[in-house]
Amino acid sequence: MAGLELLSDQGYRVDGRRAGELRKIQARMGVFAQADGSAYIEQGNTKALAVVYGPHEIRGSRARALPDRALVNCQYSSATFSTGERKRRPHGDRKSCEMGLQLRQTFEAAVLTQLHPRSQIDIYVQVLQADGGTYAACVNAATLAVLDAGIPMRDFVCACSAGFVDGTALADLSHVEEAAGGPQLALALLPSSGQIALLEMDARLHEDQLEQVLEAAAQAARDVHTLLDRVVRQHVQEASILLGD
Amino acid sequence: MLQKREKVLLLRTFQGRTLRIVREHYLRPSVPCNSPLCPQPAVCRNDGKLLSSDVTHYMIPDWKVVQDYLEILEFPELKGIIFMQTACQAVQHQRGRRQYNKLRNLLKDARHDCVLFANEFQQSCYLPRERGESMEKWQSRSIYNAATWYYHHCQDRMPIVMVTEDEEAIQQYGSETEGVFVISFKNYLDNFWPDLKATHELCESILQSRRERENESQESHGKEYPEHLPLEVLEAGIKSGRYIQGTLNVNKHRAQIEAFVRLQGASSKDSGLVSDILIHGMKARNRSIHGDVVVVELLPKNEWKGRTTALGENDGESPSEPMPTGRVVGILQKNWRDYVVTFPSKEEVQSQGKNARKILVTPWDYRIPKIRISTQQAEALQDFRVVVRIDSWESTSMYPSGHFVRVLGRIGDLEGEIATILVENSISVVPFSEAQMCEMPVNTTENPWKVSSEEERERKDLRKTHLVFSIDPRGCEDVDDTLSVRALDNGNLELGVHIADVTHFVTSHSYIDIEARTRATTYYLADRRYDMLPSILSADVCSLLGGVDRYAVSIMWELDKTSYEIKKVWYGRTIIRSAYKLFYEAAQELLDGNVDIVDDIPEFRDMDEKSRQAKLEELLWAIGKLTDIARHIRAKRDRCGALGLEGVEVCIQLDEKKNIHDLIPKQPLEVHETVAECMILANHWVAKKIYESFPRQALLRRHPPPHQEFFSELRECAKAKGFFIDTRSNKALADSLDNANDPNDPIVNWLLRSMATQAMSNALYFSTGSCAEEEFHHYGLALDKYTHFTSPIRRYSDIIVHRLLMAAISKDKKMEIKENLFSNKDLEELCRYINNRNRAAQHSQKQSTELFQCMYFKDKDPETEERCIADGVIYSIRTNGVLVFIPRFGIKGAAYLKNKDGLVISCSPDGHSEWKPGSLQRFQNKITSTTTGGESVTFHLFDHVTVRISVQASRCHSDTIRLEIISNKPYMMPDTELFQQSSLLLKSDLVKEVTRSMEEAQLAQEVKVNVIEKDYQKYCQTKGRSLYTLLEEIRDLALLDVSNSYGI
Repeated sequence: MAGLELLSDQGYRVDGRRAGELRKIQARMGVFAQADGSAYIEQGNTKALAVVYGPHEIRGSRARALPDRALVNCQYSSATFSTGERKRRPHGDRKSCEMGLQLRQTFEAAVLTQLHPRSQIDIYVQVLQADGGTYAACVNAATLAVLDAGIPMRDFVCACSAGFVDGTALADLSHVEEAAGGPQLALALLPSSGQIALLEMDARLHEDQLEQVLEAAAQAARDVHTLLDRVVRQHVQEASILLGD
Repeated sequence: MLQKREKVLLLRTFQGRTLRIVREHYLRPSVPCNSPLCPQPAVCRNDGKLLSSDVTHYMIPDWKVVQDYLEILEFPELKGIIFMQTACQAVQHQRGRRQYNKLRNLLKDARHDCVLFANEFQQSCYLPRERGESMEKWQSRSIYNAATWYYHHCQDRMPIVMVTEDEEAIQQYGSETEGVFVISFKNYLDNFWPDLKATHELCESILQSRRERENESQESHGKEYPEHLPLEVLEAGIKSGRYIQGTLNVNKHRAQIEAFVRLQGASSKDSGLVSDILIHGMKARNRSIHGDVVVVELLPKNEWKGRTTALGENDGESPSEPMPTGRVVGILQKNWRDYVVTFPSKEEVQSQGKNARKILVTPWDYRIPKIRISTQQAEALQDFRVVVRIDSWESTSMYPSGHFVRVLGRIGDLEGEIATILVENSISVVPFSEAQMCEMPVNTTENPWKVSSEEERERKDLRKTHLVFSIDPRGCEDVDDTLSVRALDNGNLELGVHIADVTHFVTSHSYIDIEARTRATTYYLADRRYDMLPSILSADVCSLLGGVDRYAVSIMWELDKTSYEIKKVWYGRTIIRSAYKLFYEAAQELLDGNVDIVDDIPEFRDMDEKSRQAKLEELLWAIGKLTDIARHIRAKRDRCGALGLEGVEVCIQLDEKKNIHDLIPKQPLEVHETVAECMILANHWVAKKIYESFPRQALLRRHPPPHQEFFSELRECAKAKGFFIDTRSNKALADSLDNANDPNDPIVNWLLRSMATQAMSNALYFSTGSCAEEEFHHYGLALDKYTHFTSPIRRYSDIIVHRLLMAAISKDKKMEIKENLFSNKDLEELCRYINNRNRAAQHSQKQSTELFQCMYFKDKDPETEERCIADGVIYSIRTNGVLVFIPRFGIKGAAYLKNKDGLVISCSPDGHSEWKPGSLQRFQNKITSTTTGGESVTFHLFDHVTVRISVQASRCHSDTIRLEIISNKPYMMPDTELFQQSSLLLKSDLVKEVTRSMEEAQLAQEVKVNVIEKDYQKYCQTKGRSLYTLLEEIRDLALLDVSNSYGI
């Protein structure tokens, strides 16, 4: 892969996007009837499904209940067929645990948990196809599902990844770009207030460039917000037509 | 809006399984077309390079053409080329990074009229590959489709020629669309560029070499070399420590046998090896060429061999103790360049057999193996130096195969030989183009250049307030630096260094800037120079001449009146008018209080007595003060514990860079040191400033401390004379070198110094972002930060530093930074390039000097000519001879004590030597030759001997000087002329004499020339030149003396 040119001299990325452009996003809410809320999202070739149950009573040990707010329980899993190589992915492996924790942190920051003390909210996310930016897709899918479930939130949580190649920040990395091994930053943003719900990066990047990459990711997250907002409005419109208002 | 498509790729993994990968592919309605005919430039967002509008057609090369004929497409005469993205990707995937980078640079280069069209990202140009369609077919189809779209996009106003090598494509698409023609490359050249002879020749030679290769691959030869290992295996092997990576260095004197691999970075520590690795023989070298980055496998210890310490071609000498030996298993990076070669003479061709279409040519550089060329012009090219390129080196072939590129000039002809030196050092100096000259300011008598009022407002005006003057060598044209000193109202002093403001005229990324960057420096050869900037800048508008207004970049320090402590410093752009253009000797005379010299200074000539006296007083004060300040600055640095190697350093650098005819460092005048000290101070302060403002992208210069082991030879030699050299620190080294002075023989000290210089590493430019701060140190000058700022007219690095300084100033003022600076990565790359060019400049200077030396001695008969006999000093001992330095001519060379017939030298009591049978015995500091008759003679280190100089002519390579010891007694010079003077005089004498004799020879030939004229015109290489230009060039030589005097 050493010879691959992530950003050409003309400013095109491998798949023909320019540095700040997102992949195509398509999303649907309310895909399952039996769950309280559900959503499906495609970001390029990354596909994720999220379902939400709750708020309901604490299941299992009562001791876990929090006296002042609801417990947010997140589980992440990915399908055996989600990557190029077919591989069984057991539950509870390190990677999915970590992702679950990150999702939990994200949504604890966004959901108004203090409205439902001593109860539990379950968010289950499954990745059907992974082509880069799985965390972002999971967050975006879960946001829609939480909205679908009617659980009050401060704001949308919109996530997007960003990378850094040859002095330019790239928004919304695809799998090829991630695999090249440069720095990669994942950002979950509450767009209207501009607050950051989660920020994660696990490679070395010079301090001076962080701001530039962060700004690229934030801009991309705001763009994602515009799209998700459109999806929600359309969904509500359709629902209201069905209800016959 | 973007449209999403999906591409399915089938990749094979290393385990051999097939992997189905789905990749997204986004298409957009408009991509930049970069054509001036574009109907909607706003939609296409054409920014950057556009095709020129004065072409008759656009040319679109097919992928195959781009792969195979990129060299021809590089000709600037071919205009209006559109490279399709499909073709570029084919190059990237199939031809590797080197070729692809060449293409990228071509596209970036503003001088070439070619653009890239991203057809695969354009909605209507993209064609998905159909099921079962071969890659090649799909590529041709895509390119044709894009060509048609492009034609319609330009509203059918510009015919398009698609050039392909695919016969089927020509048939299929040839007449499909009107206005889009599909023809073969050969056809294209014949029809559109019938006059461009060079392209035709190149095309022919590429075709031929390809045909040969195809033929060969069909015939199955026995393999000459083992195959290279695949890249993954090499990388894994390097990681695991099984293989070692390094750069191949071929021993010039035993190119067939010995090569060494210099280890790179970390690998040397891991493997525990201290020395280089020996690669013995061509087989073990396995098709790698000098300069390649190779991967080596060590051989078992019992197969290790020693390196030879004997001189020259004499074989059969006992080698030294075994050293790590290895063989090449793979090449990571090929560093092939253009090579100058010579075709074999008629007799040799016949001996090569009837199959004379493939000819073995001999490269000028000894380190390069012979190259196989297939050409029919062999006979016509016999007497010429020719440039070739290597195409490939198959494992079935003994020698690499290549193709002929162009002719340089006749063998032995001065111009041809100089061109050879230039090509061998990859120096390209074409005259400045019209586009470049258009950017230049005008300064003629009708239309003189003036200071613009706009600049007058922005710059600090020093014309009235400061007495500015320059001190340079006599006759210098490009004055980069001027000085000023004055007393301030508060009693303090103000010292100013004013440097020509080149960046005002050379804006970043302009044509002239690109050209200067490519040249990187002004090249000084023995008899001429190649300027980095056009003479309108270098000798006129930028040059800080006396009595005219000029723009400058100034640094001014406020100094305490007694302690000369620096209180304040100011950097900025200024306008100055230099009052005096002094030369060193005159300045020194003035400093010594000898005012008679005044008559030699033109500025004083037209003054009446009174004002002259006043002005003179003023100037005398300034020079005196300046010297005083310089003295104090140095003394202070010494006191602060700073190491005082500068004096020595200047000398050594002088010796190293300067023409070696100036052997004994002239006791530098104090004025030299004064000016140098001011420049060092300026450079140092600028380095501090730009590092402060741009800690990660400033260009500085460092001089790494030398490796102690390299000093061992120096210590040994000094011991032979009873001196002790302490090399632990730069201060100790400088002191002990000063002490190692033999009162009877000044040459000893000089030789020791030059050995010390050789042991040191070179100073380098670097970008501060890629180096730790401790490593910034400049060993020679003993400064923590140093850069080059004071000669922007002849060094590109200084131009960059000027831009950085300007940006730093505007940053301080919170102004927008106008200059677009290089990022750390780009700057580091540029630094590496400039370092490389500087080395090339040094090599070419050295080689051209040697060329002149050889030409000088060539027509002297060594037996009779008195000048060919000279005094030499032995400075190194080898097993079968000694290395001798001849102070009078500045020549270093080998003298054998044992000749080819195995006879050794013996000396009769009166000193005269003869060859007799006998044996040699080598000791640490001496070598003894004993004849069978029992007579013996011993040569010690630093002994003076008499040598005879002759020239060993060589057809394929440069001629070399041969030395022969004719007596073991020092040679008494017949004339009482001072040694130093004679050598100084000789330098210009020699050049003059050689050039003149060449000129005469050419005049004599004039009659015959009519016949040869055709050839000359054909190759445009050798042209008779007027005596005037020759003399002009000789005058230019004066520049050499100076320019390096503080160019540390």
